[in-house]
Amino acid sequence: MLSQLERLSCEVDGRYASDAELQFLTDYVQSFNLRVQTYQKLQEIEVALVQQTYNKMRSQDPNLFKNGTEDISGKWKRDTLRVLRYVAIAVLMNDPETLRERFLLWFQTIMRAFSAEKGCNATYTVLQEIVKQNLPAAQASLVCPILELTRRSLGTVS
Amino acid sequence: MVIVASDSQHPVKLKHPKKHNHYGFREFFQFDPDRGNITDWNGAQNLLTTEDFIIGLVEGLEEEVGDSAAAIMYTIGCEWGQKDAFFFEKWFEKEFDRSMRQANLLFLLETWWWPFTSQGWGRWEVDMGDRRQGFMFINIFDSAVARTLGDVGKPVCYLYAGLFSGFFTELVRKQLGCIEIQCYSMGETYCKFLLGGQDRIDAASFWMNEGANARDIEKRLRDGELLR
Repeated sequence: MLSQLERLSCEVDGRYASDAELQFLTDYVQSFNLRVQTYQKLQEIEVALVQQTYNKMRSQDPNLFKNGTEDISGKWKRDTLRVLRYVAIAVLMNDPETLRERFLLWFQTIMRAFSAEKGCNATYTVLQEIVKQNLPAAQASLVCPILELTRRSLGTVS
Repeated sequence: MVIVASDSQHPVKLKHPKKHNHYGFREFFQFDPDRGNITDWNGAQNLLTTEDFIIGLVEGLEEEVGDSAAAIMYTIGCEWGQKDAFFFEKWFEKEFDRSMRQANLLFLLETWWWPFTSQGWGRWEVDMGDRRQGFMFINIFDSAVARTLGDVGKPVCYLYAGLFSGFFTELVRKQLGCIEIQCYSMGETYCKFLLGGQDRIDAASFWMNEGANARDIEKRLRDGELLR
């Protein structure tokens, strides 16, 4: 929403915006309460979401949390929690573009440097399943597309 | 475009000094309209320029020294890369609380290049697969120089080649040269550079003059071919 507002302010310099150009604002206002509820729900259960994701991934493939002989579970939990918080703000603001520009583009290169794409792919696939299990459908429908954007950015080997 | 390091502190950095993802345009650069300067996250002063600057640099040099312009741009790049290696070492250690020689190499390299991406020099990809054989490849997407000059039928990214030579020579403490073996300004979709010892650079240069393309050069190097 913020990036869209900024783009709009450039485009409408010296004129009034059309109804079509203002539609995103109407959509945002209509979805605002749901977004706030979703944001607060994510804040409330973030630890549980990450832990359930961890448990499910570990049961599928414990090697996902090994980097050679090193156990990276702690680092994984800290990173996943941080990403989830960035996702939450993107949901609140309806601004996946800012998430991409200010975080995902950079983090993608870091994940590639550590060959962590496979782990990221699994993380953000499973996390979507866990979110659907823990959040009401309407809230999950806001969160999962952002998680899918995250999965495509971080989990794909180029 | 980077000039000198200053002491002014970025306000976001003051609040979140260990925020490693700070490469978005508004986060990386601090604009001070009163003083008329732009400082980046690492304290370096920056200038915003247009393509006219690049055109002026390239055409101005060509007018002054003709064919030597390429060598001069390469030399400028080398000095830039060497100075930047020292600058980078300081800010990396400050940001990550460890020596750059203790860090994972690919992570170190990505961290080095990110400011260049924020500054508009393009995105990159490093291929270290042949490192043990003493050479490596770097791809550049959206080279500022090549995009500015367009399709001119010859490689133009001498500044970049010099930058990589200067930086990596300091990093590995061994003399490394760099040559562009594929360029957007020759109609390709991205630029490719070979980094390695002078014998490999000379070989690649010779093969290019004979009409070899980047794929041919990669294959010959991997097959262990060199000039006799």
